[in-house]
Amino acid sequence: MSHLEPGLERAVLIIPAYNEAASLGDVLARVAAADSGCEVVVVDDGSLDDTGKIAARSGATVLRHPFNLGYGAALQTGYKYALELNAALVVQMDADGQHDPAQIRELTAGIRSGNYDLVVGSRFLETSGYRMSPLRSIGRKLFSALARLADLRVSDPTSGFQGMNRRVLDLYARDFFPTDYPDVDVLLTAFRHGLRVGEHPVRMAQTSRASTLHGGLRSVYYVYKMLLSTVSATARATRRAEEQEADRP
Amino acid sequence: MNETLTPEQLREVFLAAADPGSARVLALTCSLLLVSVVLWLVYRRGLREEYTPIWMGVALALVLVSVRLDWLYVLTRAIGAWTASSLIFFLGEIFLVVICLNYAVRLSRTGVQIKNLAQEVALLRARLERLDPGQQPLR
Repeated sequence: MSHLEPGLERAVLIIPAYNEAASLGDVLARVAAADSGCEVVVVDDGSLDDTGKIAARSGATVLRHPFNLGYGAALQTGYKYALELNAALVVQMDADGQHDPAQIRELTAGIRSGNYDLVVGSRFLETSGYRMSPLRSIGRKLFSALARLADLRVSDPTSGFQGMNRRVLDLYARDFFPTDYPDVDVLLTAFRHGLRVGEHPVRMAQTSRASTLHGGLRSVYYVYKMLLSTVSATARATRRAEEQEADRP
Repeated sequence: MNETLTPEQLREVFLAAADPGSARVLALTCSLLLVSVVLWLVYRRGLREEYTPIWMGVALALVLVSVRLDWLYVLTRAIGAWTASSLIFFLGEIFLVVICLNYAVRLSRTGVQIKNLAQEVALLRARLERLDPGQQPLR
């Protein structure tokens, strides 16, 4: 499944997976059928099931964490691998089947053309019929509003379907990148570092899996953590801008 | 005949209360015990030397307080506390908060280091498998 698209620099598709044996085989088959032109990399985040074996059997490159590190850390391992490969383009999608690999080319068109550094696949740019629970919907609106305060317009800040170029990889491979939920806080960090963040409408399937915005205390922690990291990311960016301003002759 | 004390007078009564020798003995015993436990942990490699200064500092403070209890009363008066024991509890709470925060900072740093190491293991393992495709996964 690993190959380079003729005439283009190396592209990598990162799929972080933790105990996704039930859905991963189907996802990888759809990826192969989509012929995205990307080398497929599955980051097995210390799964206890056959996630790694299924990924290896499909021909994907498998990066195995010795133990579970978290969704964000799994993504970052993929970024570091892509940097090792000198990849010019990276796409990330989830292993639960909610993202459609057939849309990878259109998602990354803005990056390939040089208009954007980072493109977020959004469920809400067009009417998609995607339904969120009230809590998730409130969370999404809250984070979108936070991003708007910093002049960043993203309608789907929790989307895991994204494309990015090397400039973003260089930033995301740093230690600030969260190990758990990299959402609006990292988008804001990228934006504050002068990277061009865009959106592209995508279809997403409903999944039954509990998300970070589902379920009691975990969702409360998620909202709290996201608020804190967003505020601190903004404060750091402001300080950096002030220092750069002061350094100017 | 009943004389009503004002809060200030009552405070003075508390502060002028007899200095019980048993408190000194207890403080000295605790400090010696703390020093012994710290040394034992270092000996058994359960505690690294760089983490000992703060505990030795606490033990030393306990020794000082038990030997010079009057210093404790001076400090108690200075901060407006009523009893020396409430001052000790207050200082103890501050110490616990500071040390918890210190460990949280150290844990955060260690967490990043562990994450980076685990990622490095995953990347090296993939490189190894690329070099020798016939090799079984290392687990």
